[in-house]
Amino acid sequence: MARSVWKGPFVDGFLFGKAEAARASGRNEVIKIWSRRSTILPQFVGLTFGVYNGHKFLPVQVSENMVGHKFGEFSPTRTFHGHGADKKSKRG
Amino acid sequence: MSLSAASRDILVATVGRPHGVKGLVHLHAATEDPATVEDLGALHDVQGRAWSVEWHGAGIAALRDASGRLLADRDAAARMTNVKLFVERDRLPEPEGDEFYHVDLVGLEARDRDGELLGQIREVHDYGAGVSLEVAGGPRDFIVPFTLACVPEVNIAGGVVTVVPPVEIEVEGDLSGAGDVEVRA
Repeated sequence: MARSVWKGPFVDGFLFGKAEAARASGRNEVIKIWSRRSTILPQFVGLTFGVYNGHKFLPVQVSENMVGHKFGEFSPTRTFHGHGADKKSKRG
Repeated sequence: MSLSAASRDILVATVGRPHGVKGLVHLHAATEDPATVEDLGALHDVQGRAWSVEWHGAGIAALRDASGRLLADRDAAARMTNVKLFVERDRLPEPEGDEFYHVDLVGLEARDRDGELLGQIREVHDYGAGVSLEVAGGPRDFIVPFTLACVPEVNIAGGVVTVVPPVEIEVEGDLSGAGDVEVRA
């Protein structure tokens, strides 16, 4: 068994508590977090986190295919503007 | 109000250094797919000269002027270094459904449901976890998810989007499950 599998996913404990508390409160808004190192768990699916990138809190809407990744992967600390001429996005 | 989309030029490529001695250049495409630069046809630079692009390999292109002539030699290619090539916004293909070009969204005024000015869209963020709009220049700067709930109306022609900022909440207290926690905006 690979060591990383044996150790299991890492999540800051307080983050798990924050998500649970926010979900229980019924206020499914943007939950501000600083923990970029935490793994996204299935319990977080459907919530929106504002993940700090050292400058601002970027909204991260957690979906099923993001489970297993880290929060920091979706809130880059450096921004590349080079290929935006015909970039388009769909409203979620 | 922002400029109308149709009147704007969009930067699609920047000419780099010459390549070889036959008038080819390194071309830095600003489009998601470099092939789009060739497909767009006639482009223009800041002086209004028309150019078209033919790709000759990864990042290597030939430039034709308005009369269809290729750059003659390396010296002609060197004179093109750092020239920026633009296309008119209305020549980009129209997006489908509920899609929007980022260049259309940037610069729009953000107003709340009552018409109160919240700022202008400064940037569009899309890093794989949902699109978000950065609003700045108003009473406060904020980032809003680009969802139907938070951005119910987008009026490109009118230069306005209606924004309902989400509440940013912080959770404080004993998060171990033993004590009370406080959820505050």
